[in-house]
Amino acid sequence: MSEVETERLRRAYAAKAKRLKTWSGIDLQPVYSPRDVATDYAADLGDPGQAPYTRGIHQDMYRGRLWTRRAVVGHGAPEETNARFKTQIEHGVAGLDVICDTPSMVGLDADHPMAEGEVGLCGVSISSLEDMEILMAGLPLEKISTVLLPGGTQCPVVFAAYVALALDRGLEPSQLRGTISNNPLHLFFCGPVGKVSNPLDMALKLSVDIIEYCTRNMPQFHSGYSNAYDMRESRISAPQEIAVGFAEEMAYIDGALQRGLEIDDFEPRRSIYFSAHTDIFEEIAKLRAARRMWARLMDQKYGAQNEATRKLRFGVHTGGSSLFPQQPLNNIVRVAYQALAAILGGAQSLHCCSYDEPVAIPTEQAQMIALRTQQILAHEAGAANVADPLGGSYYVEALTDKVEAEATAFLDRIEQRGGFLAVAKSGWLQDEMDAATLAFQDEVEADERILVGVNAYTTEEEEETPGGVFRVSADSERLVVERLKRLRARRDPDALAGAMARLRDGAAAGEAENLIPAMIDALRAKATKAEIGGIVRQAYGYSYDPLGMLENPF
Amino acid sequence: MPIKVLITKLGLDTHDRGAKVVAHRLREAGMEVVLLDTFQTPQGIVDVAVQEDVDVIGVSCLSGEHLRLTPRLMACIEVEGLGDRLVVYGGIFPKEDIPRLKEMGVDNVFMGTLTGDIAEYIEGNVGSKRSKQIA
Repeated sequence: MSEVETERLRRAYAAKAKRLKTWSGIDLQPVYSPRDVATDYAADLGDPGQAPYTRGIHQDMYRGRLWTRRAVVGHGAPEETNARFKTQIEHGVAGLDVICDTPSMVGLDADHPMAEGEVGLCGVSISSLEDMEILMAGLPLEKISTVLLPGGTQCPVVFAAYVALALDRGLEPSQLRGTISNNPLHLFFCGPVGKVSNPLDMALKLSVDIIEYCTRNMPQFHSGYSNAYDMRESRISAPQEIAVGFAEEMAYIDGALQRGLEIDDFEPRRSIYFSAHTDIFEEIAKLRAARRMWARLMDQKYGAQNEATRKLRFGVHTGGSSLFPQQPLNNIVRVAYQALAAILGGAQSLHCCSYDEPVAIPTEQAQMIALRTQQILAHEAGAANVADPLGGSYYVEALTDKVEAEATAFLDRIEQRGGFLAVAKSGWLQDEMDAATLAFQDEVEADERILVGVNAYTTEEEEETPGGVFRVSADSERLVVERLKRLRARRDPDALAGAMARLRDGAAAGEAENLIPAMIDALRAKATKAEIGGIVRQAYGYSYDPLGMLENPF
Repeated sequence: MPIKVLITKLGLDTHDRGAKVVAHRLREAGMEVVLLDTFQTPQGIVDVAVQEDVDVIGVSCLSGEHLRLTPRLMACIEVEGLGDRLVVYGGIFPKEDIPRLKEMGVDNVFMGTLTGDIAEYIEGNVGSKRSKQIA
């Protein structure tokens, strides 16, 4: 053994924990004891299923039903995504999350000049009711629970298309189960999409339309969830993630209350979307703290009477920004720990990222490993047998308190500045997020944070992606664009013009009219998603086309 | 004169965290940075590059559109006579695509989390490309 090798071995043997803080920067003691836990069992924890729900919202947790093992699916033309759904179902997925492509996210149809070259790349292309029919072909809408994830202000149109499809199949909206993302406000913090295509006033109005429509017509459907996950991706802390997620949700709640809805009627059908990063204990503490904070918030701020309103339901998506392209197979391990944290934290549903996501759109095999990760947790790891297994751990209880205190302080700062909409408009929250992004970067580049395979334990970079690369065929784009052109050509111009005029009048009526029914009619008259979006945009004083490139043809 | 760098998103991709970080780092390294963080067409990017007379065009792409949009961007760069400017990419790319991007005319591709080598690369290469073109 050379001297260099001997020294390397000696150092590796003597290595000790380096960063003595949580991932979010909370300082840690070497050990925790009863002296560090100030919680009163009945008041602050309660049994699972008992207020304040720190230990979980169900008495029997996963013995009653496992969490919903979800997979985010969506690429190419609707028929390609439909085929991937069927593979996922065959392999045991319990819930499908349909993600739409980037043009959809921005509010463009597949044949928009700016969509060229981008159709179907990061999700499925949906421009019309016909696309929705093809996407859901052979899937019984009344029996499955689908999560629809279109972006921003396109949510109501995609939601309307799902309802229209159900009506066309002879179903009642009340039979539908599932969730619409309906969280346009957070997109204000997601790069250009917020700046260009997602005006906050219109976004909130349409979002409340969905909440109202679901509350009145679709008692089994979830009218939306606030997206703490995307905000955390900026590298804000775990406590900040709770605070911004709750602040966003309070904006929808306030909008729905102003519409005249009762908190106990709509809030039980809403949820929060959290992330799970790799610091297992902090993530568990985050999810436990969030439940306790929520119960108190609903009780004290909104006077909720319904127990279901006070029970915080959440889905967890493992953290995309915590995966790295270097040595990509390591991401399988990261995702497994994140998923474990989500389950030990009591998530109602879970989506695991695929290991190749920092490299490309997942291959089918990579998606399979992500699903198998959940199944191993459910059936081998013992994670589903006992509710809140870490409850009573001195460390986890102390950390839960600490996360709650920091989250409450940050939520107070948002509230003092006027709430979510105000801190969006003022730029304050964006500045906080940008500062978090740069602070993380500094810590990594100064080696204060170790990222395995990134700034430590590095190897020669691979020239190929292990497991190969999934490619969306350029044929998908041709297929959907051609189909859209044929749809435009065979429409009844009078029926279309009539439906669009009714939509325009409805949009002009503002808060007085819920636009979902008019959108359903317009979709059945073969209007496209962007046409419907454009008519509504104009009623709110914005350009018909989000990018200002197309004129209103109606 | 400081090196002038355009950092831009390409197309409809909306992931802007990396572009912001790189812009910040290059400013720290003493460069003048123009950051375009809204949707940009290839022509739109090149128009700004001409107007600002930048030395480097830095493109951020994270949604898989790089192989489809890069030929169009490089054609606009050629037509507007910016062939002597350094073109660097950052974002999410399969390793297999990096040689293909370089064949299309991209000078270098950065991915991963560390930014230290980006400023160094630009400083080391910005002049040589321009003088090569002039010669």
